[in-house]
Amino acid sequence: MTSIQSACVRKVKQKKVAIDTQVPEFKTDEMIINLGPQHPSTHGVLRLILTLDGEVVKHTECVIGHLHRAQEWQGQNRTWFQYQALIDRVDYLSGMFTSWALCAAAEKIDGAVVPERAEYLRVLVAELNRISSHLLWLGTYLIDLGALYGFPFYPFIEREKILTFFEEVAGQRMMYNYIRIGGVQRDPKASWFKKVEEFTKQFAQRIDEYEAIVTENPIFLKRTKDVGILNKEVAMAYGVTGPTLRASGVAYDLRRFKPYSVYPKLEFTVPVYNKHGDTWDRYMARVQEMRESNEIIKQVLDMLPEGEIMTKKQNAGLRVKAGEGFAAVESPRGVLGCYIISNGSDKAYRFKWRNPSFSNLSVLPPLLENRPLSDIMAIFGSLDIIIPDVDR
Amino acid sequence: MSEEVNKPAEQAAEATVPLTEGVYGKLLKENGIASTPLPESIGIETLAVQASALPAAMKFLREKAKLNFLVAVSGVDSPDTFDSVYHLWSFSKLDELVVKVRVPKSSLPADKLPEVPSLSNYWQTADWHERETYDLIGIRYIGHRYLRRILNPWDWEGHPLRRDYKQPVDALNDKHPVSMR
Amino acid sequence: MIPNAAEIRKLSVLSFSWLTVIFVAVWGVCWLVGILIPALLANSSFDFARAVSEICEAITPLLAVMVFIPINAMFMVLMERRVLALFTRRNGPNRVGPDGALQTAADAIKLLLKEDITPTGADAAMFTLAPIIFFAPSIFGAIPLLAAVTNNNKLFQIADLPTGIFFVLAASSIPVVGIVMGGWASNNKYSLMGGLRSAAQAISYEIPLVLSIITICLLAGTLDVVSIAKQQSGGILNWNILGGGALTGLNKAIAAFISSAGPPIAEVIKTYYPYGWLSLIGVIVLCLCTIILFGIYLIGACAEINRIPFDLPEAESELVSGYNTEYSGIKFAIFFLAEFTNLFIVSTIAVVMFLGGGDCPLPTWLNPLSYPAVYIPLTNILSPILSLLIDKIHLINPDTFWAALWVILKTYSLVFFAILVRGTLPRFRIDQLMDFGWKRLVPITLVIFVLVAFARGVINFHV
Repeated sequence: MTSIQSACVRKVKQKKVAIDTQVPEFKTDEMIINLGPQHPSTHGVLRLILTLDGEVVKHTECVIGHLHRAQEWQGQNRTWFQYQALIDRVDYLSGMFTSWALCAAAEKIDGAVVPERAEYLRVLVAELNRISSHLLWLGTYLIDLGALYGFPFYPFIEREKILTFFEEVAGQRMMYNYIRIGGVQRDPKASWFKKVEEFTKQFAQRIDEYEAIVTENPIFLKRTKDVGILNKEVAMAYGVTGPTLRASGVAYDLRRFKPYSVYPKLEFTVPVYNKHGDTWDRYMARVQEMRESNEIIKQVLDMLPEGEIMTKKQNAGLRVKAGEGFAAVESPRGVLGCYIISNGSDKAYRFKWRNPSFSNLSVLPPLLENRPLSDIMAIFGSLDIIIPDVDR
Repeated sequence: MSEEVNKPAEQAAEATVPLTEGVYGKLLKENGIASTPLPESIGIETLAVQASALPAAMKFLREKAKLNFLVAVSGVDSPDTFDSVYHLWSFSKLDELVVKVRVPKSSLPADKLPEVPSLSNYWQTADWHERETYDLIGIRYIGHRYLRRILNPWDWEGHPLRRDYKQPVDALNDKHPVSMR
Repeated sequence: MIPNAAEIRKLSVLSFSWLTVIFVAVWGVCWLVGILIPALLANSSFDFARAVSEICEAITPLLAVMVFIPINAMFMVLMERRVLALFTRRNGPNRVGPDGALQTAADAIKLLLKEDITPTGADAAMFTLAPIIFFAPSIFGAIPLLAAVTNNNKLFQIADLPTGIFFVLAASSIPVVGIVMGGWASNNKYSLMGGLRSAAQAISYEIPLVLSIITICLLAGTLDVVSIAKQQSGGILNWNILGGGALTGLNKAIAAFISSAGPPIAEVIKTYYPYGWLSLIGVIVLCLCTIILFGIYLIGACAEINRIPFDLPEAESELVSGYNTEYSGIKFAIFFLAEFTNLFIVSTIAVVMFLGGGDCPLPTWLNPLSYPAVYIPLTNILSPILSLLIDKIHLINPDTFWAALWVILKTYSLVFFAILVRGTLPRFRIDQLMDFGWKRLVPITLVIFVLVAFARGVINFHV
């Protein structure tokens, strides 16, 4: 190396060093953003305190309770008869199931016998309710993904029909108070069953239609495939249940696993997706569940026996024997349990609700970690959370 | 509400029926964890463990006995005790078990919350359920990383599901000056 | 049997009446200011009067745009809502006015009367400036297009821009500055994120958009929108979407085949396609390329004006309302107005660049009106009635009328398509959006640009 060359190199090196020292340190900061409680896609009033690095979520804290209505306290301060009517409000999209969980626990403690026809009617309305709940989820999930105007209204057409059935049989579209301790409230007319039968016949076709629009849509696949992967082990540790758990590959459905009511007599399969446990699997699990529910309804309509529908007198004197017990049903969102301590009076001593949304929501922070902001809605929506069900 | 009505019926039953250990009670005993059998709740084995033995018992039940589904953690303000009730199911078998930790009220000094060891560090389900129980019943779970109120506002006073709870603002009274209605 | 035929009929009536109102209002104003007043003042001996008449003529195109944009945006909002309702089996707004026709007018009045709020901590000057900067370019952009869509009517030639399409594209890339300003000045994290997303998105999608337009300019051999529109006249085979003029020879050959009067077919084909098989391959390549370019243009335009599936800057389910979260009252109204005007303008650019401008889609040899046997009797019947309006007071200009009619029809077809897309697709994620833009669209347009550059060598265009 000649002296000139080395001088040049030295010069360049010096220059480089000089430049390096002049560059100011590039500072980045994390941004804390409050998603909610009033936000278009938190399905009610959920507040997420997000720590963002650019658009990537670093930490999440769920703040719940904005919709806390002290349902447990109210249960302890109201008579059984009053509380039956109140409890539908806990999960307003599947009121039949909250009633059923309460009644199942109370009947177990009381030793009350439920007539067979009433059990079949319960299964019938519950499965209809499961379909209506999943239909609403399907619509709102597409809204979460940004398809704000087109598809989301399609499922509402079928849901509307189901709500009309409920209106006819229970007098209300959402707060049914239909399943009561000891049976069901009212026996539907023959024409009602005929309408339901017609509905079931064309419903499978409608699901095919929805799937044709959504399932293989490339943007939908891009947004949902490999997003929010929930492992089996994590799901079980967090007590996640329902379609969310089944999409992770655990065939845990109370209707099959711990059969209650007349489910042992019915034929249906529990859809399990053992691929990834991503949001697309959760979507598929729910869609398949709707098909299965439709099949169950068809069977129930065929098998429905004649007979009584109520064994306990429904008035203010409604009592449940002393004792304590826990009973659960498989709601559209998972295991919906009710823990009751009764002391034989007209009011219960302690109510405790085990809500599927509460446990399912608790898995959200680990799912959101290191995901972009846009995925929050794709993941949160796929868990199918109902905020009143979380907050009670 | 009268005293008589306020009492759960199991108190009476406990005195009369001689209790025998169930399957899981025996299993726990074999592994050196003491438990007291309680009357069955609708056919399901119920047992009480000491607060100090709870983490070991739960760990054993989850890993060895395969009761790996913690359905719920409930708090009960019983007449004599504060109960922390754990409903255990399994993802792989049909067995059920109810585990209770009973903290006698007589042993508690005034203005001190009953204390139960937390499960949240190795069983994530317990995290939010314990926060809820702390919020509503006022059982302090020792070792919980983030024991903060969950359903009530963070600055709420008192534990609403306790029998002696008084509302700070009587929201139901129309004539009250600070009423929210 | 169509289940919602009644709704479709209502919507058609609504659209027809609204479009008539727009047509009449815009043309009425232009005629009044651009023809009537100058004509009245023409014979005056005062300098002042002559000056007034010249000013009147000069501001006519501006007036046309200023009258057209608000009324048109009102109709577009209404149409969007009604059409989306149609897709989802709802009724849509149908209470205000006859069958909901005045709904958006009522909304506009409501927005104008609302309190104008500037949030605490916002940069007030920037906050006010943002909607203006967002809206103003849509007026600039519309002006060079005006002559192209009215068959180069003398009234609407504000400036004879030889680089017309460049000016339009330059103008249409300014609004993103307004969005970033609005997002930053709002002192809201959602707005800030919306603004930043918008900047990223606009930069990445401008490239395929401009490249597709440039390829068409390469085929046309000019940047002047008026001449590009004129080149395409004579039916769908001449339009840029089908080979950018590569099929003109075919068009001419068919015309020659039908009418025995013209030159022989072989000669026509020899003139346009001199290289035989090579020319045939060139034609096929060009046709495919231009159709793909049209698709890419539509995608880029959708991203440019932030419509679903590229509405990330607004992203209702993520960012509440993105950059316009904090806006209310008249500022929000301006944002809203500009959004729909931009939609209309990008559709108009597509019409001028790809769909033949104000040209009837039927080729001349298929159009009954182009045969003397049809149009001579028609003219004989109509001329005594219309000659007063056409020749004396210039209230009707047939060329401009037909051009404007076809442009409106084609543009609204594209708007309808945009609404259809909005009613169908979910939203992209920001990284997928970037991926799609840079890794798919940009390479495709570059490849097409090279292909077109070679393929145009083997065909004679616009002889």
